[in-house]
Amino acid sequence: MDSSALNSADLQRFIEQEKQKAMVNEMVAKLTDVCWDKCITGTPGSKFSSGETTCLTYCAQRYMDMSMMIMKRFQSMQ
Amino acid sequence: MDSFSSPSSGSSPSQPSPEVFMDQLKTQLAQAYAEEFLETVRGKCFTKCVTKPGSSLSGGESSCVSRCVDRYIEATGIISRALFSSQR
Repeated sequence: MDSSALNSADLQRFIEQEKQKAMVNEMVAKLTDVCWDKCITGTPGSKFSSGETTCLTYCAQRYMDMSMMIMKRFQSMQ
Repeated sequence: MDSFSSPSSGSSPSQPSPEVFMDQLKTQLAQAYAEEFLETVRGKCFTKCVTKPGSSLSGGESSCVSRCVDRYIEATGIISRALFSSQR
């Protein structure tokens, strides 16, 4: 493929894909940061307790729920 | 990130080929992500494991750091699964 053939469309698609991936990575990194502080209260052991694992899972899912809620709340203000 | 703005220095044509550009972009994104991740892990594990810095890292602190790094990586996996496989 030469550069003129690849130009706009393919390159745009590539950049769009990379943008999506970056957003996903960002989200996972942010939630891991926040939920680590909330769920891992003691010194890290050689294995997560089931409580810690569950807390991390719930924490991520509830954060997403809350994020939706806040978005709706703001939309209803306009 | 700077090398996006200025055309890649050193390569022969002034306009890099799309393949080269894509590769560079991917590599740079991966590097940036790795750096950010490392910085976060450093911060988290220092807080957890080095509570009272002494004249050197103690054996206990070192093993705490090892465990902390492993657990942080594991936590990242758990979070990502929690978000993207909504079955559980």
